[in-house]
Amino acid sequence: MKALEYIPGSTLLHKTNPIIKIVAAFLITAVCFITTNHFVILGILALTVCLAAFCRSGLWALRVLRSLCILSALLFVVQALCTQQGEVLFILPLGINVTLGGVLFSALFVLRLLACALPLALVFRVTKGIDLANALHKNLHVPYKFAFAISSAMRFVPDFIDEMHEIKEAQTARGAELDSRNPFKKIRLLVPLCVPLLLSGVRKAQSAAISAELRGVSLRS
Amino acid sequence: MLKFENVSFGFGTGKQPLLNNINFGLAAGEFGVLLGENGAGKSTLLRLCNGLLKPQSGTITVCGNSTSAEKTSLIAKSAGFLFQNPDRQLCQKTVREELEFGLRLHGKTDELSSECDEILEEFGLNPDDDPFSLSSGMRQYAAIASVLVCRPSLLLLDEPTSWLDATQTKTFLSVVKKRQQSGTAVLMITHDIKLANRAATRTFTLQQGQLSA
Repeated sequence: MKALEYIPGSTLLHKTNPIIKIVAAFLITAVCFITTNHFVILGILALTVCLAAFCRSGLWALRVLRSLCILSALLFVVQALCTQQGEVLFILPLGINVTLGGVLFSALFVLRLLACALPLALVFRVTKGIDLANALHKNLHVPYKFAFAISSAMRFVPDFIDEMHEIKEAQTARGAELDSRNPFKKIRLLVPLCVPLLLSGVRKAQSAAISAELRGVSLRS
Repeated sequence: MLKFENVSFGFGTGKQPLLNNINFGLAAGEFGVLLGENGAGKSTLLRLCNGLLKPQSGTITVCGNSTSAEKTSLIAKSAGFLFQNPDRQLCQKTVREELEFGLRLHGKTDELSSECDEILEEFGLNPDDDPFSLSSGMRQYAAIASVLVCRPSLLLLDEPTSWLDATQTKTFLSVVKKRQQSGTAVLMITHDIKLANRAATRTFTLQQGQLSA
Protein backbone atom coordinates (compact mmCIF):
# COMPACT_ATOMS: atom_id res chain seq x y z
CA MET A 1 0.00 0.00 0.00
CA LYS A 2 1.44 3.38 -1.04
CA ALA A 3 -0.02 6.26 0.96
CA LEU A 4 0.93 9.15 -1.34
CA GLU A 5 0.84 7.52 -4.75
CA TYR A 6 -1.29 9.02 -7.54
CA ILE A 7 -3.84 6.60 -8.95
CA PRO A 8 -5.35 7.62 -12.31
CA GLY A 9 -9.12 7.90 -12.51
CA SER A 10 -11.97 9.83 -14.03
CA THR A 11 -14.05 10.64 -10.94
CA LEU A 12 -15.22 14.16 -10.10
CA LEU A 13 -12.51 14.43 -7.45
CA HIS A 14 -9.83 13.53 -10.00
CA LYS A 15 -11.10 16.27 -12.34
CA THR A 16 -11.44 18.99 -9.67
CA ASN A 17 -8.86 21.80 -9.73
CA PRO A 18 -5.89 20.80 -7.53
CA ILE A 19 -5.98 24.13 -5.69
CA ILE A 20 -9.61 23.54 -4.63
CA LYS A 21 -8.61 20.09 -3.35
CA ILE A 22 -5.61 21.43 -1.43
CA VAL A 23 -7.62 24.32 0.06
CA ALA A 24 -10.41 21.90 1.06
CA ALA A 25 -7.89 19.61 2.75
CA PHE A 26 -6.40 22.55 4.68
CA LEU A 27 -9.89 23.76 5.67
CA ILE A 28 -10.66 20.29 7.03
CA THR A 29 -7.37 20.43 8.96
CA ALA A 30 -8.33 23.84 10.37
CA VAL A 31 -11.77 22.59 11.44
CA CYS A 32 -10.15 19.61 13.17
CA PHE A 33 -7.97 21.94 15.22
CA ILE A 34 -10.72 24.45 16.00
CA THR A 35 -13.33 21.97 17.20
CA THR A 36 -13.07 20.12 20.49
CA ASN A 37 -15.99 17.84 19.69
CA HIS A 38 -14.90 14.24 19.10
CA PHE A 39 -18.02 13.48 17.04
CA VAL A 40 -17.34 16.31 14.58
CA ILE A 41 -13.88 14.88 13.91
CA LEU A 42 -15.29 11.36 13.62
CA GLY A 43 -17.79 12.75 11.11
CA ILE A 44 -14.95 14.36 9.10
CA LEU A 45 -13.11 11.03 9.10
CA ALA A 46 -16.22 9.17 7.92
CA LEU A 47 -16.79 11.79 5.20
CA THR A 48 -13.19 11.44 3.99
CA VAL A 49 -13.51 7.64 3.83
CA CYS A 50 -16.77 8.06 1.84
CA LEU A 51 -15.00 10.48 -0.56
CA ALA A 52 -12.18 7.96 -0.95
CA ALA A 53 -14.74 5.21 -1.66
CA PHE A 54 -16.31 7.52 -4.27
CA CYS A 55 -12.84 7.62 -5.95
CA ARG A 56 -12.64 3.81 -5.72
CA SER A 57 -10.05 4.07 -2.94
CA GLY A 58 -12.19 3.13 0.05
CA LEU A 59 -10.09 0.09 0.90
CA TRP A 60 -6.92 2.17 0.53
CA ALA A 61 -8.32 4.77 2.98
CA LEU A 62 -9.06 2.08 5.56
CA ARG A 63 -5.55 0.66 5.14
CA VAL A 64 -4.00 4.12 5.61
CA LEU A 65 -6.09 4.54 8.75
CA ARG A 66 -5.00 1.13 10.02
CA SER A 67 -1.32 2.05 9.50
CA LEU A 68 -1.79 5.40 11.23
CA CYS A 69 -3.61 3.70 14.10
CA ILE A 70 -0.37 1.95 15.14
CA LEU A 71 1.38 5.31 15.63
CA SER A 72 -1.81 6.80 17.08
CA ALA A 73 -2.08 4.06 19.70
CA LEU A 74 1.43 4.90 20.93
CA LEU A 75 0.66 8.64 21.00
CA PHE A 76 -2.62 7.96 22.80
CA VAL A 77 -0.91 6.03 25.59
CA VAL A 78 1.87 8.64 26.06
CA GLN A 79 -0.60 11.54 25.98
CA ALA A 80 -3.07 9.81 28.34
CA LEU A 81 -0.31 9.15 30.87
CA CYS A 82 1.07 12.69 30.64
CA THR A 83 -2.24 14.62 30.85
CA GLN A 84 -3.67 14.75 34.34
CA GLN A 85 -7.12 16.38 34.23
CA GLY A 86 -10.44 15.64 35.94
CA GLU A 87 -11.68 12.44 37.54
CA VAL A 88 -9.19 9.61 38.12
CA LEU A 89 -10.34 6.52 36.23
CA PHE A 90 -7.73 4.09 37.59
CA ILE A 91 -4.26 4.07 39.07
CA LEU A 92 -1.41 2.21 37.37
CA PRO A 93 1.65 0.76 39.17
CA LEU A 94 4.19 3.42 40.31
CA GLY A 95 1.20 5.65 41.21
CA ILE A 96 0.47 6.88 37.69
CA ASN A 97 -3.08 8.21 37.42
CA VAL A 98 -5.15 7.71 34.31
CA THR A 99 -7.73 10.50 34.26
CA LEU A 100 -10.94 10.99 32.30
CA GLY A 101 -9.70 14.36 31.04
CA GLY A 102 -6.43 12.78 29.93
CA VAL A 103 -8.18 10.00 28.01
CA LEU A 104 -10.62 12.42 26.33
CA PHE A 105 -7.82 14.84 25.39
CA SER A 106 -5.66 11.97 24.04
CA ALA A 107 -8.60 10.67 21.98
CA LEU A 108 -9.11 14.18 20.55
CA PHE A 109 -5.38 14.49 19.80
CA VAL A 110 -5.27 11.15 17.97
CA LEU A 111 -8.53 11.77 16.08
CA ARG A 112 -7.17 15.15 14.92
CA LEU A 113 -4.03 13.45 13.62
CA LEU A 114 -6.05 10.89 11.64
CA ALA A 115 -8.58 13.40 10.34
CA CYS A 116 -5.82 15.78 9.15
CA ALA A 117 -3.61 13.15 7.52
CA LEU A 118 -6.25 11.26 5.54
CA PRO A 119 -7.66 14.16 3.45
CA LEU A 120 -4.14 15.30 2.49
CA ALA A 121 -3.19 11.75 1.49
CA LEU A 122 -6.42 11.56 -0.55
CA VAL A 123 -5.54 14.80 -2.37
CA PHE A 124 -2.23 13.30 -3.51
CA ARG A 125 -3.98 10.06 -4.50
CA VAL A 126 -6.33 11.87 -6.88
CA THR A 127 -3.98 14.63 -8.13
CA LYS A 128 -1.15 14.25 -10.63
CA GLY A 129 2.09 15.89 -9.41
CA ILE A 130 2.51 17.88 -12.62
CA ASP A 131 -1.12 19.15 -12.42
CA LEU A 132 -0.46 20.29 -8.87
CA ALA A 133 2.72 22.12 -9.96
CA ASN A 134 0.89 23.80 -12.86
CA ALA A 135 -2.02 24.83 -10.64
CA LEU A 136 0.27 26.25 -7.94
CA HIS A 137 2.12 28.22 -10.62
CA LYS A 138 -0.94 29.48 -12.54
CA ASN A 139 -3.47 30.09 -9.76
CA LEU A 140 -1.29 30.94 -6.77
CA HIS A 141 1.64 32.44 -8.77
CA VAL A 142 4.16 30.24 -6.98
CA PRO A 143 7.43 30.37 -9.04
CA TYR A 144 7.44 27.31 -11.32
CA LYS A 145 10.75 26.04 -9.93
CA PHE A 146 9.27 25.83 -6.41
CA ALA A 147 5.98 24.36 -7.62
CA PHE A 148 7.92 21.74 -9.60
CA ALA A 149 10.10 20.97 -6.55
CA ILE A 150 7.00 20.47 -4.34
CA SER A 151 5.30 18.13 -6.81
CA SER A 152 8.57 16.22 -7.43
CA ALA A 153 9.11 15.77 -3.69
CA MET A 154 5.64 14.25 -3.35
CA ARG A 155 6.29 12.06 -6.39
CA PHE A 156 9.38 10.55 -4.74
CA VAL A 157 7.75 9.63 -1.40
CA PRO A 158 6.38 6.25 -2.65
CA ASP A 159 9.77 5.56 -4.27
CA PHE A 160 11.52 6.10 -0.95
CA ILE A 161 9.08 3.76 0.78
CA ASP A 162 9.84 1.12 -1.88
CA GLU A 163 13.56 1.75 -1.51
CA MET A 164 13.44 1.38 2.28
CA HIS A 165 11.57 -1.90 1.78
CA GLU A 166 14.28 -3.13 -0.62
CA ILE A 167 17.08 -2.07 1.74
CA LYS A 168 15.36 -3.91 4.60
CA GLU A 169 15.06 -7.00 2.38
CA ALA A 170 18.75 -6.77 1.44
CA GLN A 171 19.85 -6.51 5.08
CA THR A 172 17.51 -9.34 6.14
CA ALA A 173 19.10 -11.46 3.40
CA ARG A 174 22.48 -10.69 5.01
CA GLY A 175 21.23 -12.02 8.33
CA ALA A 176 20.01 -8.85 10.08
CA GLU A 177 17.01 -9.85 12.19
CA LEU A 178 14.66 -7.26 10.70
CA ASP A 179 12.03 -10.00 10.53
CA SER A 180 12.16 -10.27 14.33
CA ARG A 181 9.04 -9.48 16.37
CA ASN A 182 11.07 -7.56 18.96
CA PRO A 183 10.53 -3.83 18.18
CA PHE A 184 13.65 -2.68 20.11
CA LYS A 185 15.87 -5.10 18.18
CA LYS A 186 14.30 -3.89 14.94
CA ILE A 187 14.88 -0.21 15.76
CA ARG A 188 18.54 -0.89 16.66
CA LEU A 189 19.06 -2.69 13.34
CA LEU A 190 17.20 -0.04 11.33
CA VAL A 191 19.54 2.83 12.32
CA PRO A 192 22.44 1.84 10.00
CA LEU A 193 19.95 1.44 7.14
CA CYS A 194 19.29 5.18 7.14
CA VAL A 195 22.73 5.64 5.52
CA PRO A 196 21.97 3.93 2.19
CA LEU A 197 18.49 5.45 2.13
CA LEU A 198 19.82 8.99 2.66
CA LEU A 199 22.60 8.54 0.13
CA SER A 200 20.29 7.16 -2.51
CA GLY A 201 17.85 10.00 -1.75
CA VAL A 202 20.54 12.62 -2.28
CA ARG A 203 21.74 10.88 -5.46
CA LYS A 204 18.19 10.65 -6.80
CA ALA A 205 17.52 14.32 -6.01
CA GLN A 206 20.77 15.35 -7.73
CA SER A 207 20.06 13.35 -10.88
CA ALA A 208 16.42 14.54 -10.97
CA ALA A 209 17.61 18.16 -10.65
CA ILE A 210 20.17 17.75 -13.45
CA SER A 211 17.61 16.01 -15.64
CA ALA A 212 15.05 18.79 -15.02
CA GLU A 213 17.65 21.48 -15.81
CA LEU A 214 18.65 19.73 -19.02
CA ARG A 215 15.00 19.60 -20.07
CA GLY A 216 14.72 23.35 -19.55
CA VAL A 217 12.83 23.70 -16.25
CA SER A 218 14.61 27.03 -15.61
CA LEU A 219 13.37 28.46 -18.90
CA ARG A 220 9.80 28.43 -17.61
CA SER A 221 9.13 31.42 -15.40
CA MET B 1 21.48 -27.85 -0.90
CA LEU B 2 18.48 -26.19 -2.60
CA LYS B 3 15.27 -27.99 -3.49
CA PHE B 4 12.04 -26.74 -5.10
CA GLU B 5 9.09 -29.15 -4.95
CA ASN B 6 5.90 -28.22 -6.85
CA VAL B 7 6.41 -24.54 -6.09
CA SER B 8 3.88 -22.01 -7.40
CA PHE B 9 3.92 -18.29 -6.71
CA GLY B 10 2.06 -15.20 -7.90
CA PHE B 11 1.60 -11.61 -6.76
CA GLY B 12 -1.99 -11.04 -5.62
CA THR B 13 -4.80 -13.52 -5.40
CA GLY B 14 -6.91 -14.58 -8.35
CA LYS B 15 -4.18 -13.74 -10.87
CA GLN B 16 -2.26 -16.11 -13.12
CA PRO B 17 0.73 -17.41 -11.07
CA LEU B 18 4.10 -15.99 -12.12
CA LEU B 19 5.81 -19.30 -11.31
CA ASN B 20 3.88 -22.49 -11.90
CA ASN B 21 4.73 -25.88 -10.41
CA ILE B 22 8.51 -25.42 -10.33
CA ASN B 23 10.63 -28.49 -9.53
CA PHE B 24 14.40 -28.38 -9.42
CA GLY B 25 17.35 -28.83 -7.11
CA LEU B 26 20.97 -27.80 -6.76
CA ALA B 27 23.57 -29.97 -5.06
CA ALA B 28 26.77 -28.81 -3.34
CA GLY B 29 29.38 -27.70 -5.88
CA GLU B 30 26.88 -27.09 -8.69
CA PHE B 31 26.80 -23.79 -10.59
CA GLY B 32 23.28 -23.14 -11.87
CA VAL B 33 22.57 -20.26 -14.22
CA LEU B 34 19.03 -18.97 -14.55
CA LEU B 35 18.12 -17.42 -17.88
CA GLY B 36 14.91 -15.78 -19.05
CA GLU B 37 13.38 -12.64 -20.47
CA ASN B 38 12.82 -9.51 -18.37
CA GLY B 39 9.70 -10.00 -16.24
CA ALA B 40 9.83 -13.80 -16.53
CA GLY B 41 10.13 -14.10 -12.73
CA LYS B 42 13.86 -14.84 -12.32
CA SER B 43 14.39 -12.39 -9.44
CA THR B 44 11.14 -13.60 -7.85
CA LEU B 45 12.42 -17.18 -8.01
CA LEU B 46 15.69 -16.10 -6.38
CA ARG B 47 13.80 -14.23 -3.64
CA LEU B 48 11.84 -17.42 -2.97
CA CYS B 49 15.12 -19.30 -2.46
CA ASN B 50 16.04 -17.43 0.73
CA GLY B 51 12.54 -16.84 2.08
CA LEU B 52 12.16 -13.16 1.19
CA LEU B 53 9.03 -14.38 -0.58
CA LYS B 54 7.09 -17.41 0.58
CA PRO B 55 5.65 -19.91 -1.93
CA GLN B 56 1.86 -20.05 -2.33
CA SER B 57 2.10 -23.80 -2.70
CA GLY B 58 4.85 -26.40 -2.62
CA THR B 59 8.02 -26.49 -0.56
CA ILE B 60 11.45 -24.93 -0.83
CA THR B 61 14.26 -26.25 1.31
CA VAL B 62 17.69 -24.69 1.80
CA CYS B 63 20.20 -26.95 3.55
CA GLY B 64 17.27 -28.95 4.93
CA ASN B 65 15.38 -25.91 6.28
CA SER B 66 11.98 -25.05 4.81
CA THR B 67 11.85 -21.39 3.78
CA SER B 68 8.16 -21.25 4.73
CA ALA B 69 8.87 -22.30 8.31
CA GLU B 70 12.12 -20.40 9.00
CA LYS B 71 12.82 -16.67 9.17
CA THR B 72 14.84 -15.17 6.30
CA SER B 73 17.50 -13.90 8.72
CA LEU B 74 18.07 -17.52 9.82
CA ILE B 75 18.17 -18.90 6.27
CA ALA B 76 20.70 -16.13 5.48
CA LYS B 77 23.25 -18.04 7.58
CA SER B 78 23.42 -20.70 4.87
CA ALA B 79 22.25 -18.74 1.81
CA GLY B 80 24.14 -15.61 0.73
CA PHE B 81 22.16 -13.27 -1.50
CA LEU B 82 23.55 -10.60 -3.81
CA PHE B 83 21.03 -8.01 -5.02
CA GLN B 84 21.14 -6.33 -8.43
CA ASN B 85 21.90 -2.95 -6.89
CA PRO B 86 24.90 -2.98 -4.49
CA ASP B 87 23.75 0.27 -2.86
CA ARG B 88 20.89 -1.62 -1.20
CA GLN B 89 23.36 -3.83 0.68
CA LEU B 90 26.09 -1.40 1.70
CA CYS B 91 25.56 0.49 4.94
CA GLN B 92 28.91 0.88 6.74
CA LYS B 93 31.59 3.59 6.73
CA THR B 94 34.49 1.51 5.38
CA VAL B 95 34.85 -1.58 3.23
CA ARG B 96 36.34 -3.52 6.14
CA GLU B 97 33.43 -2.58 8.44
CA GLU B 98 31.07 -3.63 5.67
CA LEU B 99 32.63 -7.10 5.55
CA GLU B 100 32.77 -7.39 9.34
CA PHE B 101 29.09 -6.34 9.60
CA GLY B 102 28.00 -9.52 7.80
CA LEU B 103 30.30 -11.73 9.86
CA ARG B 104 29.04 -10.17 13.13
CA LEU B 105 25.43 -10.80 12.06
CA HIS B 106 26.36 -14.44 11.58
CA GLY B 107 28.11 -14.54 14.95
CA LYS B 108 31.49 -15.31 13.33
CA THR B 109 33.50 -12.75 15.30
CA ASP B 110 36.57 -15.02 15.64
CA GLU B 111 37.08 -15.04 11.88
CA LEU B 112 36.88 -11.27 11.41
CA SER B 113 40.36 -10.25 10.33
CA SER B 114 41.58 -13.41 8.57
CA GLU B 115 38.45 -13.86 6.43
CA CYS B 116 38.28 -10.16 5.57
CA ASP B 117 41.95 -9.87 4.58
CA GLU B 118 41.68 -12.85 2.25
CA ILE B 119 38.62 -11.60 0.41
CA LEU B 120 39.85 -8.00 0.25
CA GLU B 121 42.97 -9.27 -1.49
CA GLU B 122 40.97 -11.42 -3.92
CA PHE B 123 38.96 -8.40 -5.09
CA GLY B 124 41.71 -5.80 -4.74
CA LEU B 125 39.61 -3.71 -2.35
CA ASN B 126 41.12 -1.13 0.00
CA PRO B 127 39.76 -1.84 3.51
CA ASP B 128 39.71 1.85 4.50
CA ASP B 129 37.74 3.11 1.49
CA ASP B 130 34.24 4.49 1.98
CA PRO B 131 32.05 2.05 0.00
CA PHE B 132 29.82 4.88 -1.24
CA SER B 133 32.75 6.82 -2.71
CA LEU B 134 33.84 3.88 -4.89
CA SER B 135 33.08 3.44 -8.57
CA SER B 136 29.96 1.38 -9.38
CA GLY B 137 32.06 -1.70 -10.24
CA MET B 138 34.04 -1.50 -7.00
CA ARG B 139 30.81 -0.97 -5.01
CA GLN B 140 29.51 -4.17 -6.59
CA TYR B 141 32.79 -5.86 -5.59
CA ALA B 142 32.33 -4.65 -1.99
CA ALA B 143 28.77 -6.02 -1.98
CA ILE B 144 29.91 -9.38 -3.42
CA ALA B 145 32.78 -9.55 -0.92
CA SER B 146 30.41 -8.83 1.98
CA VAL B 147 28.33 -11.84 0.92
CA LEU B 148 31.25 -14.20 0.20
CA VAL B 149 33.07 -13.38 3.45
CA CYS B 150 30.36 -15.23 5.40
CA ARG B 151 31.14 -18.42 3.42
CA PRO B 152 27.53 -19.39 2.65
CA SER B 153 26.74 -22.94 1.49
CA LEU B 154 24.40 -21.55 -1.17
CA LEU B 155 25.16 -18.42 -3.16
CA LEU B 156 22.26 -16.59 -4.85
CA LEU B 157 23.40 -13.94 -7.33
CA ASP B 158 20.97 -11.59 -9.06
CA GLU B 159 22.70 -10.23 -12.19
CA PRO B 160 26.02 -9.80 -10.39
CA THR B 161 27.98 -8.62 -13.42
CA SER B 162 25.65 -5.86 -14.62
CA TRP B 163 27.84 -3.21 -12.91
CA LEU B 164 31.18 -4.85 -13.77
CA ASP B 165 33.51 -4.31 -16.73
CA ALA B 166 35.11 -7.22 -18.63
CA THR B 167 38.19 -7.48 -16.36
CA GLN B 168 36.13 -7.22 -13.19
CA THR B 169 33.73 -9.88 -14.52
CA LYS B 170 36.70 -12.21 -15.07
CA THR B 171 37.97 -11.68 -11.51
CA PHE B 172 34.48 -12.10 -10.12
CA LEU B 173 33.98 -15.37 -11.99
CA SER B 174 37.31 -16.81 -10.86
CA VAL B 175 36.54 -16.03 -7.19
CA VAL B 176 33.03 -17.52 -7.39
CA LYS B 177 34.30 -20.57 -9.34
CA LYS B 178 36.86 -21.17 -6.56
CA ARG B 179 34.01 -21.17 -4.01
CA GLN B 180 31.96 -23.50 -6.19
CA GLN B 181 34.88 -25.94 -6.45
CA SER B 182 35.18 -25.97 -2.67
CA GLY B 183 31.53 -27.11 -2.39
CA THR B 184 29.36 -23.98 -2.50
CA ALA B 185 26.22 -24.29 -4.63
CA VAL B 186 25.67 -21.24 -6.82
CA LEU B 187 22.51 -20.01 -8.54
CA MET B 188 23.09 -16.96 -10.73
CA ILE B 189 20.75 -14.87 -12.86
CA THR B 190 22.29 -13.34 -15.96
CA HIS B 191 21.44 -12.05 -19.41
CA ASP B 192 25.02 -12.66 -20.57
CA ILE B 193 24.92 -15.95 -22.52
CA LYS B 194 28.73 -16.09 -22.87
CA LEU B 195 29.12 -15.77 -19.11
CA ALA B 196 26.45 -18.42 -18.60
CA ASN B 197 28.30 -20.83 -20.89
CA ARG B 198 31.60 -20.19 -19.11
CA ALA B 199 30.22 -20.51 -15.59
CA ALA B 200 27.36 -22.97 -15.57
CA THR B 201 27.37 -26.64 -14.77
CA ARG B 202 23.57 -26.48 -15.21
CA THR B 203 21.44 -23.98 -17.09
CA PHE B 204 17.78 -23.27 -16.38
CA THR B 205 15.43 -21.21 -18.52
CA LEU B 206 12.35 -19.58 -17.09
CA GLN B 207 9.58 -19.00 -19.60
CA GLN B 208 5.88 -18.36 -19.02
CA GLY B 209 6.09 -19.51 -15.42
CA GLN B 210 7.75 -22.83 -16.30
CA LEU B 211 11.35 -23.80 -15.62
CA SER B 212 13.19 -25.95 -18.11
CA ALA B 213 16.66 -27.40 -17.58
